[in-house]
Amino acid sequence: MVEKRVGDTNTDRGPVPLTMLLPGERAKIVALGAGSGRQRHFRTMGLKEGKIVVIIATQPARGPLVIDVEGTLIAIGRGMARQILIQKI
Amino acid sequence: MKKITLMGCPNVGKSVVFSRLTGVNVISSNYPGTTVDFIKGTTFIGGEKFELIDVPGTYSLEPTSKAEAVAQTMLHEGDIVITVVDATHLERNLYLTLEILETKKPAVIALNMWDETRHLGIDIDVTKLERVLGVPIVPTCAICGTGIKELSSAVGDAQQSKTLKQMSEEERWLKVGEIIRDVQVVHHRHHTIWERFADTTVRPTTGIPLAILVILLMFLFIIEVGNVIIDYLMDPLFYTYYGPWIVGAVNSFVPSGLLHDLLVGTSTIESLDFEQSLGLLTTGFYIPFGIVLPFVITFYFMLSILEDIGYLPRLAVLVDTGLHKLGLHGSAIVPTILGCGCNVPGALATRILETEKQRFIAMTLMAISIPCMAQSAMIFAILGRYGMKWILIVYSTLLVLYILLGLLLKRIVKGESPELLLEVPPYRKPDPRTLLKKTWSKAYGFLAEAVPFVIVGIFIVNLLSVSGMIDILARIFSPILTTVLGLPEGAIAALLLGILRKDIAIGMLLPLGMTPQQLTISCIILTTYFPCIATFVVLFRELGSLALLKAAGLMAVVSLSVGIIMRVILIGI
Repeated sequence: MVEKRVGDTNTDRGPVPLTMLLPGERAKIVALGAGSGRQRHFRTMGLKEGKIVVIIATQPARGPLVIDVEGTLIAIGRGMARQILIQKI
Repeated sequence: MKKITLMGCPNVGKSVVFSRLTGVNVISSNYPGTTVDFIKGTTFIGGEKFELIDVPGTYSLEPTSKAEAVAQTMLHEGDIVITVVDATHLERNLYLTLEILETKKPAVIALNMWDETRHLGIDIDVTKLERVLGVPIVPTCAICGTGIKELSSAVGDAQQSKTLKQMSEEERWLKVGEIIRDVQVVHHRHHTIWERFADTTVRPTTGIPLAILVILLMFLFIIEVGNVIIDYLMDPLFYTYYGPWIVGAVNSFVPSGLLHDLLVGTSTIESLDFEQSLGLLTTGFYIPFGIVLPFVITFYFMLSILEDIGYLPRLAVLVDTGLHKLGLHGSAIVPTILGCGCNVPGALATRILETEKQRFIAMTLMAISIPCMAQSAMIFAILGRYGMKWILIVYSTLLVLYILLGLLLKRIVKGESPELLLEVPPYRKPDPRTLLKKTWSKAYGFLAEAVPFVIVGIFIVNLLSVSGMIDILARIFSPILTTVLGLPEGAIAALLLGILRKDIAIGMLLPLGMTPQQLTISCIILTTYFPCIATFVVLFRELGSLALLKAAGLMAVVSLSVGIIMRVILIGI
């Protein structure tokens, strides 16, 4: 997948990496782009296709994101967050 | 005795269920051949005695990590399994539950945090879920204690699931979805004000100032309360009751001579000296019980509160960016804080870090620049009398070392430093029973570990001084000590003993009549130059001989350099 830079004014509805979301924005997970071991790890933590995520906080200097997945808070590094593809809603 | 295993994902309240079911005789141990530690205890169910094993929390049984592999083996070794499920996160917990039930072990499910489902707008049809899974399910609230009796009696009805067959990973996920659609209804609701407030503790602008405040308050509390316990409980006990009694007793059996000096040292009834007399029954008991234990207890009490409230993962998120610069990630804050209590559990806790590189860096940094509570207690006790300034110098030097070494190690150690992926559990009200139990078992662990070493250490000191070995060693090392570091040559005894126990080593600095500058330098060197023997053994097991050799070399170089630098700064050339 080609990574596109998406700003807040973007109306593109295609899947983008989770890192493109800003705090407070909601999105739906559409695909997981990692290897099978990590995919299972993501899913058992609740990061599954079809789930709604909200960004709660982003840490400065490319630090981790804190996301809310249907009531569970998860802290995730940016590299891993890039493997989670979402669609803004 | 039949074995019951207690299994579940992380953060489902498993350990609270465990402490509800067991008595005080709880033992923490390592799984044979691994570094994965678990807790076991005994429980009576229907008049029968069972061994209850608290298996480390895991998200699945596929052995992708050591902890998961151990969880799998422990499940197989048990006779009955109690699966603890977080009712507020049923979907995520079902994957592991299905895996466990597929193994056909007789099982019971504790549907924990049941009370919270109601105000979260979650409806679970327990009867239907019971039918689908084919094992008894008991709704529980471990924190408030409801459902625990029912859970305990349901263990007798534990059965193999007849409704579930062996599934592939994909089938299992489909099954999870199917069950959720069948038994659970979630009513939509908005974030509560409390949750909005909770969120601010992970936002950098609000979270970081709060984190600094929390840590400052924690250490202030430990120091203040520790001192109150010493002044109003331990010192009166030792000086009014224990001291006169023990010295009198020893005097009446062995009025003088070698054995007398070995037992009570230079203490007499008229002038009790617990700090410097170096007797087995005086200093040997006073240091671990009278000075260190009060701080150890308050430390573990505060740590357990932070742990049980659920603050540590938030701290991990906030410090992640900083720790990345040192080749670690946010989760490394947990072993680091544990290391402030004792480096042994701290080093063991580094296994939550994923790679060898991270573990090496975390353990080396800890061994060099994190003083354990026993050591800190002695540093407070000895440097404190000259003013806060000297204590601050010691700790800020250690902090600077931690950062500089981390920056260096990140660059020179080969390997990967992966990113953080961590569940941040909701804040919970800590259960006082669990808090006290945790504090007690850790304080007890400290005593069991420390007292024998302190006694052996004091015995060796006496041996060295009686045989004259100390003078020979002092002469050999005096060029380094006096010329290079500006310390009296007698400090060699403390440095030698520091290998055994750092707390008595610092205590041994007292009779040398050093200036505060010399004491400060000695405390820094004693902290950095070598870990105590117990930590050393753990590092050896965890790192292997080669990596430990590298770490030890680094310690020697760092310690000597810092000692010289501090000598130049504090004393001059």
